[in-house]
Amino acid sequence: MPGSVKLNFSSLVKAQVHIAPLSVLRIAFGSIMLVSTIRFILKGWVYAFYIKPQFHFTFYGFDWVKPPAGAGMYVLFAILTVAAIMVTIGLFYRAAIITFFLCFTYVELLDKTTYLNHYYFISVMAFLMIWVPAHRYFSVDTKLRPKIAVTRVPAWTINIFKMQLVLVYFFAGISKLNYDWLIAAMPLKIWLPANSQMPVIGGLLTQTWVAYAFSWFGAIFDLFIGFLLLDGRYRKWAYALVIIFHLSTAVLFKIGMFPYIMICVTIVFFSEKTHIRIVNLLTHFLPKSKHYTSNKDYHLPVFKTQFIYTVLALHFIIQLLLPFRFMLYPGKLYWTEEGYRFSWRVMLMDKGGTIFFYVKDSKTGKRSEIINSQYLTTFQESQMATQPDMILQFAHHLAAEYQKKGINNPIVTADSYVTLNGSGSRLYIDSTVNLAKEQETLLDHKKWIIPFNSTQQ
Amino acid sequence: MKKIIYLALTAATTFLLIQSCSKSSDGGSKNTNTGSSFDRKAMLVNISSNIIIPAYTSYHDATVSLDAAVTTFNTTPTAGNLTALQNSFIAAYKQWQSTSMYNFGPAQDAGLGVNTNTYPVSVTQITANINSGTYNPLLLANLAAKGLPALDYLLFGTGADNAAILAQFTTDSKAANRKTYLAALSAELKTNATTVLAAWNGSYKTTFLNATGTDVSSSTGQLVNQLIYDYEILKNYEIGIPAGTQSMGTTFPEKVQAYYSKISLQLTELHLSAIQNLYNGATGLGLDDYLISANNTALNTRIQTQFSAAATKLQGLTDPLSANIISNPTAVTASYTELQKLTVMLKTDMTQALGIAITFGDNDGD
Repeated sequence: MPGSVKLNFSSLVKAQVHIAPLSVLRIAFGSIMLVSTIRFILKGWVYAFYIKPQFHFTFYGFDWVKPPAGAGMYVLFAILTVAAIMVTIGLFYRAAIITFFLCFTYVELLDKTTYLNHYYFISVMAFLMIWVPAHRYFSVDTKLRPKIAVTRVPAWTINIFKMQLVLVYFFAGISKLNYDWLIAAMPLKIWLPANSQMPVIGGLLTQTWVAYAFSWFGAIFDLFIGFLLLDGRYRKWAYALVIIFHLSTAVLFKIGMFPYIMICVTIVFFSEKTHIRIVNLLTHFLPKSKHYTSNKDYHLPVFKTQFIYTVLALHFIIQLLLPFRFMLYPGKLYWTEEGYRFSWRVMLMDKGGTIFFYVKDSKTGKRSEIINSQYLTTFQESQMATQPDMILQFAHHLAAEYQKKGINNPIVTADSYVTLNGSGSRLYIDSTVNLAKEQETLLDHKKWIIPFNSTQQ
Repeated sequence: MKKIIYLALTAATTFLLIQSCSKSSDGGSKNTNTGSSFDRKAMLVNISSNIIIPAYTSYHDATVSLDAAVTTFNTTPTAGNLTALQNSFIAAYKQWQSTSMYNFGPAQDAGLGVNTNTYPVSVTQITANINSGTYNPLLLANLAAKGLPALDYLLFGTGADNAAILAQFTTDSKAANRKTYLAALSAELKTNATTVLAAWNGSYKTTFLNATGTDVSSSTGQLVNQLIYDYEILKNYEIGIPAGTQSMGTTFPEKVQAYYSKISLQLTELHLSAIQNLYNGATGLGLDDYLISANNTALNTRIQTQFSAAATKLQGLTDPLSANIISNPTAVTASYTELQKLTVMLKTDMTQALGIAITFGDNDGD
């Protein structure tokens, strides 16, 4: 038994395998990032999400992340675009992928309003790609410096991506195993009929059984697809499912690039033979069709390998633990959202809210209702209305603003109503609590969130 | 090896199934979609043919009459013609209350909302325009010096009584400039109304009927979003801000809609019932039917009750609202509170129950 474990370890980590999957992943990831970045710019979101808002909801511990002034935000996106191109073609790859990772993550840290699991996924993928020699085959770098070209790389350089993807799908699957999703078919029972105008399938989408079928299929798909992709016998069928599943989510929901990103990066599961074929196919489309290959293996000095092992081990330990941090909190996760982000909980709930803030002068006892839109964009306001940490951040911002207006120790309270998966709106946070005095902490429970079951309108 | 993985998975699945069985919805007793299909397109047909286009037609006709009354008055500025003009103005302002909530498509392109009803007016800006004899409708500063609120000031606020007001258009040294300004404003209202109505009678109606989805740019999405937006204008600008809800209790009675003609409350009541009428789809398919078909009958009842509750509170107030704010601030803020409750139902409960997107941007997904 120990022997087989050892064998498994060395075949999964150390064994020399063909580098082609890594090159294809580089090209797939780089090009889909290029499309995503350009799409983001063309949609006017650089302005709408990062320049227009006068206030940003930063992440805990990242208050120092501020949007660059003036045209800086556009410069940042220009850098992202160029970096994505360089990653794709494999030009100055390491510098390009590090730049991409840093810039992309920086943008994501600016405002949690725009937080999406798929942006987090991109950051994670870019981070992993920093550590692998994805440019040493079929790249501009190997044209410029043929010496660096290799044909075989240690298996870990490819397997880390498979492992990451398996984790993403599996955690997404686990998070669907709950009453709302499986037994009540929520939120799909709300979301699917909203698409009833679609040709052919529109009528079906209003059927209750279809909502159940989608819910169960989605959960089973997420739970098992990673493992099926790993197994050579089922891979082709599994990948066909990946395409069908993600394309149907793309048609039904407004989820942007995510389906296409997943379809692109899951190619990494295929065998090296398939990848060599993909590279050969791509070679046909290139003007100087012969790309430089060598018969070398990729070798790193021991200390470097050990450093990378340590980094990756830490990364995956964090990846395994983060989705479980919700267990540290009492109450219903979907309601409190404490420990919700960075856990691959995707498309799980239909949540909406309305919140009215009040600022009271502690001296005179007079109070003002706040028009949120004077401080926030509609997008920020609607995201904030259902997320307690954002509510607290905004309350602190209001306190600071009124302090500036000469009102000492303003008391900030909020009347907030939230509906979750068709529950009907209920009082969300304690409207008597002075939010200006409450502090955000890394892991503490927010006691002023009214438990889900105790309130009903 | 494989068997072990699947066994572990099955175990994990069972375990988690048991673990995470806390429900959000109340066992299907309410708010669960039975799957009955709702014909959004039929609702759009009803709302556009029976509510929106008639509203724009009436408003357009009202601005035509108003502009004609201005011409008559400018040619023959008599007390009788002033009264007739004032009545035309009131008719147009009343009709606007059932026209303001369609601020998407052609109305949005024409900036109909802001160009028609930005208040409080800037008397300073109006006076400056009259004194200089120039008026540039494109100037941002002139948003507070045009439209119905500017006419409200010119026709009702330039003197203590109609005799004094008439003098402003006859014997005053700037009478000629004032008449020119009056004509420019009513002509602008008419032009904007004509543009928007023409678009609805033209190709936009097809565009509207074909965008049958539920995203932000769909017609249902735009209708719902604008209904809520307009409702919040009613709540905040017609009642809340003047009553001091956003200013530490300091009231601003002069910030009410139609401050000078003193018909603020009347207009607000019309506005509220117009919003309710849109919600109900008049007598045809509306958001009420949509909610009922999505098994949200209870929510529909709550919304209808709240519309009535808010209307009742408003009926308890009196015009001029500006005076009422000073004499009975508690009653005004009580109406505001009642209006506030409806915001939650429309903005949160209704949009979520129907799966209507209220913001743009990508949502999370896998």
